[in-house]
Amino acid sequence: MTDERCQRYLEDPEANAGHLETCAECRAENAALAAKSDVDVAPISLDALPLAPWEGSSHRAWPLVFGAAAAVILIAFVLCDLAGISPLHVAESSLSSIEARRGLLRNATEWLRAAPAAMQVAFGVAFIVVNALLVVLLRRAPRGIDA
Amino acid sequence: MRRGLRLFLPLTIVAATLVTAMVAAPPRFGAREPLTIEGAAALMQNTAVIASLLAIWMLAAVALTLLSGREIRYSSIEMRASALHCFALGLVAVTSFVLTAIVFSYLIPYHVGVPLLFALAVIAILTKIYGTIAVFHAVGTLVAGSRTREQLAGRRWLRGDLAMVVVGVIVLGALRLIPIAGPIIWAFASVFGIGTALATKFGRREPWFLAWRAVES
Repeated sequence: MTDERCQRYLEDPEANAGHLETCAECRAENAALAAKSDVDVAPISLDALPLAPWEGSSHRAWPLVFGAAAAVILIAFVLCDLAGISPLHVAESSLSSIEARRGLLRNATEWLRAAPAAMQVAFGVAFIVVNALLVVLLRRAPRGIDA
Repeated sequence: MRRGLRLFLPLTIVAATLVTAMVAAPPRFGAREPLTIEGAAALMQNTAVIASLLAIWMLAAVALTLLSGREIRYSSIEMRASALHCFALGLVAVTSFVLTAIVFSYLIPYHVGVPLLFALAVIAILTKIYGTIAVFHAVGTLVAGSRTREQLAGRRWLRGDLAMVVVGVIVLGALRLIPIAGPIIWAFASVFGIGTALATKFGRREPWFLAWRAVES
């Protein structure tokens, strides 16, 4: 085993697998190791394994995407036309809902300013408790892939 | 236990939806009054607005899935693996957003409130958009995802992240059009989405907080 080729085989048996055919000593050692090993490596059938989430995930079904997007946009245009509204009206509607939420927030703030001190303290406690709970829940590691 | 949770969650959602629908439904809903012309026009306009917003959601979902499909997939897997945690986290996060917005709004006279409020709004909107697209992926996978390798190999169109997201938009969009129940389902999906986005740190699966360890000498 002092030969340089034997040493190379020992360092990387897979890359120097051809060495076994030329060296009787290494071949004998290899056979002895194989006989000692009682690990029975069962053949793995990939089809028997469950489907992994990433399998086929990079496929891009453009006909489906374009077809569905075109259908949804067409339906939206037809409905807007039937209802007699323009896409601008949709934007206005979204902005008005944002404005309504801003109004609610303003009302809540004004209510809090005018509330008695005990109510303000209770709000502060609720704020701290909810955010502490959020931090506790965020500390849990995701487990999706290992589940 | 896990099976019990799997049953408990959908039943809770269904029960909560029914109760909220009964409480939130307008009084005339049960009476079945004849629909007036103005009422029909308003209903039509509402449907047109929803359909237009769905088209925008579809474009946003396709764009985000093309940009970061793997992250969306990780979040979708997390939502399906631990739905209850994602829902609880979403509820707490929404409450936290609202309370934090009130606190920041309280600080507006002190000049620090406006930038803080703006930053919070940006974070909340990004979380909602990302999370909702992750919900689209999860719903699409649940409805049309391949169960076996043979099924996957036999499909030409209904495979891949992009297809799952598109199917999810169509399914949830169709549900969104149902009067009364639609907005409730959409709100539940948003809560799930916000929870999932935060639970997976936007699909990056990194911890939000570094663990502190004492230096060993």
